[in-house]
Amino acid sequence: MRRETQNVLLILLGGAVLKIAANGEYLRYVKPWLLPWLIAAGVITVLLAGVGIARDIQAATARAHGRAVTAGDGHAGHDGHGPAGAGHDGHGHAGEGHGHSSHSPWLLLLPVLAILLIAPPALGADKVARSGDLSAVARQAPSGSAAFDQLPTEDAPLLKIGDAVTRAVWDSSGSLDGRQIRLVGFVVHMPDGSVDLARLVINCCAADAIPIKVRLDGDAAHRYPPDTWLEARGEIVAHSATEGNGYVPVFKITSLTEVTPPPDPYES
Amino acid sequence: MGSHDAAVAIKTSQPRHRRRNERRITSLEVFCAVIVLALIFSGPLSRLLDRPGLRTGSTVFVAVCVQALPFLVLGVVLSGLIAAFLSPALMRRLLPGSPAAAVPVAGLAGVALPGCECASVPVSRRLIQQGVPPAAALTFLLAAPAVNPVVLVATKVAFPGEPRMVLARFLGSLATAMVMGWLWARFGRLEWIAERARRVVEAGDGQSRWRVFTETARHDLAEAGGFLVLGALTSAVLNVLVPPWVFATLSGQIVLGVLVMAVLAVVLALCSEADAFVVASLAQLPLLPRLVFLVVGPAIDVKLYALQAGTFGRRFAARFAPATFVVAIICAVLAGLLVLGGAR
Repeated sequence: MRRETQNVLLILLGGAVLKIAANGEYLRYVKPWLLPWLIAAGVITVLLAGVGIARDIQAATARAHGRAVTAGDGHAGHDGHGPAGAGHDGHGHAGEGHGHSSHSPWLLLLPVLAILLIAPPALGADKVARSGDLSAVARQAPSGSAAFDQLPTEDAPLLKIGDAVTRAVWDSSGSLDGRQIRLVGFVVHMPDGSVDLARLVINCCAADAIPIKVRLDGDAAHRYPPDTWLEARGEIVAHSATEGNGYVPVFKITSLTEVTPPPDPYES
Repeated sequence: MGSHDAAVAIKTSQPRHRRRNERRITSLEVFCAVIVLALIFSGPLSRLLDRPGLRTGSTVFVAVCVQALPFLVLGVVLSGLIAAFLSPALMRRLLPGSPAAAVPVAGLAGVALPGCECASVPVSRRLIQQGVPPAAALTFLLAAPAVNPVVLVATKVAFPGEPRMVLARFLGSLATAMVMGWLWARFGRLEWIAERARRVVEAGDGQSRWRVFTETARHDLAEAGGFLVLGALTSAVLNVLVPPWVFATLSGQIVLGVLVMAVLAVVLALCSEADAFVVASLAQLPLLPRLVFLVVGPAIDVKLYALQAGTFGRRFAARFAPATFVVAIICAVLAGLLVLGGAR
């Protein structure tokens, strides 16, 4: 690939990353804490390519003026040899890529096109259904005094699905028993015919997503298509999350409301 | 470098003249055509991908790329800085003279690079170019992603009830890196590494440090970035295709469990900062296979193989990667038996 093409591609790549960092779409793919790193990476990528382009223009201008180009300017067109090849070509053929440069930078087009044209959505019901019994619930009772705080005293507090399931499995004080709570998640039609309300938990990027879910009791949720975001109000049936069912508690629904997806679709 | 490149310059001067007269189609034109076509057909393209499985795969693909890019950029910036500021002479003074003695130093130096695998490949290649013995640079390549503080803290958080997992992972990964370094010092051949990756950069050849830094980093980013994408693609496909029952059927079968988890670590290509959380969720499995996953993953996976093949050449990767795989499994099992006291 020619050096100019590489530079244009790098600018597009850096630009694509900056775009999803600016409009919040990056939360579909990675954790919020990566934001400053993404911005830095995007800016550095664009700058490196920009400096390369500026250098090419400089060299081309110098050539056009018939000036002898110093040895250091000559390596521009020889990417296949790496920067170590600097100085071997004292005639300054900037931008004249030859057969030795590699084709691998072409692959950078794939993420650029995917981000700019397709913008894949956040993982959802399909990933949960594919994950079978996997569940992000803690495998040991949380230790320490602050393991389970008092639930907020308000009527039907909003909990993370992860918190609710952890309490359902490990909280021996029964803080959830008989309490109305609210959960926000998306609808998953499981292969066995049941309907779950789920969120995905990611630790680094969407490749390591693990589901956390509650089973919605009754038929009320069946009419919603997969990936519909719902706020479910109701209570968790005591002792319904067992090792045998992969620690998925049953949720007795009082009401279901369709909601807009939260900005960060994943739970942490 | 001189004679080889001079030959290239002579060889290529012929077509260059012809090109000037005939105006051949170059990659820039192809590139523009691809972009225009993609823009025109973006609608049908999106619809084509609008199936649950493909959507999941494309999300994972973009996620791996986006997640790895900052680390790759960190790696190429470090690599550029090394090229510009650490002269081979200085490197030789910093490291012990014999490769065998330099290996442990390089392994412990890995603690200082808080990144994942993608950062360490360009850095270790640069180290080789700066005159560091390949054995030491390769030890650094394997150690840096696995024994740095970020990864160890992540492991600690992921296994709250098992602090010994952290020690076992540290020892297993460090042992893998050092054994591979010593194996290379004893059996490795320099010509397995592609010529472009081991050409020694000569200091002070009339270029400013800023120029060396920007050109090195830019070039490494375009090259390694392409291979990273290849790895991300593979990982996304397998991420969608590996069925969940694989994990469930492994409980209680320790040997099979170790082998399958080692293979999964290679094909899933998770970031070393996240892999602990994923295996922690596989509660059906004993600790030993999960430790194997944590030691093998940062040492070798499909993404790393693509990066290594692109950076050091296929002849190198075809020998180094399988050897790393075997050594990592053995080191992980030994560390597990020693620290965890059995399979558990």
